[in-house]
Amino acid sequence: MMLGQVVAIASMNIRSIPQRLWMSLSTVVAVGLVVAVLLAFLAMGNGFRQAQTSAGATDIAIMVRDGAQSEINSAVTRDQADLVAEAPGIARQDGHALVSAELYVIVDGVSRSTGLRANLPLRGLPLAGVALRHNVRIAEGRLFQAGTNEIVVGRSVTREFAGFELGKTLRLGQSVWTIVGIFEDGGTVRESELWGDVGVVQSVFKRANFFQTIRARLESPAALPALKAYVDADPRLKLVVETEAQYFAEQAKQSSDLIQKLGWPLAIIMAIGALAGALNTMYSSVASRGTEIATLRAIGFGRVPTFAGTLAEALALAVVGGIVGIVAATLLFQGYTASTLSANFTQVVFTFKVTPALCVSALLLALVVGVIGGVFPAIRAARQPIAGMLGDQ
Amino acid sequence: MNQALLVAKNLGRRKLRTTLMLVAIFIAFFLYGALECFNRAFHAGESAAAADRLVTVNRINFTMPLPVNYAGRLRQVDGVKDVTFQSWFGGYFQDQRQPLLMFAVDPQNYLAVYPSIRMAPEQRRAWIANRAAIAVGATTAAKYHWKAGDRVPISSNIYVRKDGARAWEFDIAAVFSDPDDTARENIVLMNHDYFDESVTFGRDQVNMIIFSTVSSKRNDEIAKAVDALFANSEAETTTDTAAAFNRAFIRQVGDIALIITLVIATAFAAILMIVGNTLVMSVRERTREIGVLKTLGFSGSTILAQILAESLLLALVGAVLGLAAASGAAVALGKLLSGFGSTMHMTTGVFLGGIGWAVLLGLVTGAIPAWSGMRLQIATALGRR
Amino acid sequence: MADDPFSFQLRQVSKRFVKGKETITIFDGLDLDIPAGDFVAIMGPSGSGKTTLLNLLGGIDHVTSGQIVFDGRRVDALTENQLSAWRAANVGFIFQFYNLMPVLTAAQNVELPLLLTKLGRRDRRKNVATALELVGLSDRAGHYPREMSGGQQQRVAIARAIVSDPQVLLCDEPTGDLDRTTADEVLGILQLLNGKHGKTIVVVTHDPEVTRYTKRTLHLNKGVFVERTALA
Repeated sequence: MMLGQVVAIASMNIRSIPQRLWMSLSTVVAVGLVVAVLLAFLAMGNGFRQAQTSAGATDIAIMVRDGAQSEINSAVTRDQADLVAEAPGIARQDGHALVSAELYVIVDGVSRSTGLRANLPLRGLPLAGVALRHNVRIAEGRLFQAGTNEIVVGRSVTREFAGFELGKTLRLGQSVWTIVGIFEDGGTVRESELWGDVGVVQSVFKRANFFQTIRARLESPAALPALKAYVDADPRLKLVVETEAQYFAEQAKQSSDLIQKLGWPLAIIMAIGALAGALNTMYSSVASRGTEIATLRAIGFGRVPTFAGTLAEALALAVVGGIVGIVAATLLFQGYTASTLSANFTQVVFTFKVTPALCVSALLLALVVGVIGGVFPAIRAARQPIAGMLGDQ
Repeated sequence: MNQALLVAKNLGRRKLRTTLMLVAIFIAFFLYGALECFNRAFHAGESAAAADRLVTVNRINFTMPLPVNYAGRLRQVDGVKDVTFQSWFGGYFQDQRQPLLMFAVDPQNYLAVYPSIRMAPEQRRAWIANRAAIAVGATTAAKYHWKAGDRVPISSNIYVRKDGARAWEFDIAAVFSDPDDTARENIVLMNHDYFDESVTFGRDQVNMIIFSTVSSKRNDEIAKAVDALFANSEAETTTDTAAAFNRAFIRQVGDIALIITLVIATAFAAILMIVGNTLVMSVRERTREIGVLKTLGFSGSTILAQILAESLLLALVGAVLGLAAASGAAVALGKLLSGFGSTMHMTTGVFLGGIGWAVLLGLVTGAIPAWSGMRLQIATALGRR
Repeated sequence: MADDPFSFQLRQVSKRFVKGKETITIFDGLDLDIPAGDFVAIMGPSGSGKTTLLNLLGGIDHVTSGQIVFDGRRVDALTENQLSAWRAANVGFIFQFYNLMPVLTAAQNVELPLLLTKLGRRDRRKNVATALELVGLSDRAGHYPREMSGGQQQRVAIARAIVSDPQVLLCDEPTGDLDRTTADEVLGILQLLNGKHGKTIVVVTHDPEVTRYTKRTLHLNKGVFVERTALA
């Protein structure tokens, strides 16, 4: 019976919203904007993180010099690479260890959106290294041939930077290179790279016998400790050994943490402003419906349903605002491509990714605004004296 | 009793409602102030760069090295004044994840190219004389509680010492400030000779050559001459003004300015609706009173002015409070985000900009209620319940 | 008379309130009996306390001191929740400006008090139809208040007031906003409710024509009954 009262009053409250259309709309818009901004930041952080973490495999080990925080700072010699090839835990094919010693240099590209120069990674790797990236496929053209000035570029590079189309030639270092293929990797950070034969890259950039990372396929994810033990035991190998998954997760964590740390406080501050608006709307709703509330109380409706009815109105406005914000953010940002500087100092291209989980977080913020914005006016409505409020105002 | 008092009393009519509007306005201007200060600090490097300073880097990318002898050859180019160079050291103190902005430079020339750096004369001498000495910017020194005379161990993310030790031991010879470019007070400078003799690789190489010109009008011509000098050499160069270089670098992080503008715009859009609607409602409640005022003889334009004064007062009070809070937040944020240091503070530009927006906000939110108040017919006003 | 059921008995009722620095006394030590089935008009100048008296009877205002007894129960001692329930079961209100919910149709407005009962939907619909028929507005069931005249709205309000069959109807200036003909129609309905259905009706009014319908009239002036006219 109580529920019936609550439902009756709540539906009356909600149906009377058109009488206070503009005020109610301002609350819906304010909450919607807050939700949209929050979702934009969350989607940005999520997309950036996903571009990096989805790249990591659990059965590929990556090794960089101890102390280097990222590939760009690392330095590994050929001798070290050869030693690693003997290690236990590494998968072998036809007697050869599946190991790839790679070099990572930074070259310039011109960003399509800004027209300014930006850093792009040119990775020198052996052909065997390509096989260590499970999801890579050549979408157009073909892979580079060993020993030549041929390179393949990731799909994200062609999208965000000018001049990297199939067949184009570029001058990098002292040499001219030809783009013979475009590869795709599910939108991960790998698609923001250029790949060439490691030997050629080394000689053009005068880095003979110099590498920065060693990648190796593990017999299984469980084989990592064996490899690690081998490396730790050898004083010539001052390397950090991790799975790709771990490595990328760490890289991603820092920057997506930062975006989260920016997004939430910003959204909460804006939510306080929206809350002020919501309280305003609800207090004026209670005031303008004073006679109505008093009449219901005179009829015999209790205080709790009166309270619940006003709270329901506030929640309804907040939920509608939240949904509007979610729809707007999704339409505006979902799939939007952007790029930013990674820990490796190069551009990482990523897309904004709105997910249901993020939408729920954003909606929760809207609900909090609705609850706080409704509770106090609802208490006032319930406590309102009946006598004196029954005449026309 | 005068008209101004009437305006103020009208605002005080429903204190809760006025307070809520002030909160909304406060939030919007707080965000404006804090974000704009951040925006300026973030882009400070672009404007602080002196007009006559140019930067030469490897044409492939600025992370590629240039031979150190390029500095000497560059000095021969007509129009070049002082030349210095720097290499990124990748240093950190105790925590690997908190890198220092640390460069290896040639001390004497560096100070010539950056004349705005303030260093006590005896500290300056000490730094130049002692190879193992470093000069630390005031902000970084304050962060780690360093002072001249301390000895600190700093390690590198990139380089390894010849003797196998992890850390370099440095004497802090000088703590300097740079009033023209406070971002520079974050950096740490070591001696390039010391760097060269202690690393296992990367010797005789520099990341960047920085030089000043005799006249900023000749920048273009001199830049082209420098690049022509090194065309077809082992490392080709590209030369640009320091400002342009900084701008391109900052832009790589993202279009921060755009993001900030969008966020501020949404905040303002929200409060515009909230405050505007509330004012319309509040004036409508006063319909009968406005009618009475008009019978007494107040003209329509007086009513218009009164209502606009009300919305302006509201906007300005909220804005001033919000900007004041933003000022405090900016300083606190500056301390939190290393690398910004004292560039994070409220500037007159941001403050005046905020006041300007407040006036606009007041006028826009007050426009409709003021207009309808002015046009109100007395009979209708008195008849409405 | 004291033994009649459903009577109101007011004993030494005082109502005072503080306004700024002054204490204003509406009643001081008022006594009143309203027997079951009474149809009484309370008249008096503005500020005499008539509406306050009505509010006290209905439990929507509280006495400063004294007792209000209804059917042997002390209304003044009930808690808010108990008062709500008591009102729902025993009292119907009728106001000068109808106080209908603008977002509800006539039928929905009339149905409101029934939501406080345990009746199912079909029973509720039946009671609503009965009430609307009694006031002669069955054909207006689906109309909104803004689509009806003042008299029609007031009849809907009466239907709402009687739909859960309360014993008491409390009316505050029910004809204040109506023209003569419509007012007489409304008063006729009230008389029917009292005569045929036995409801106790208290009407606060300025309208002297009301006394032609009521059984007795009380005149209130500054919180004191000055004249009592018995049934004619």
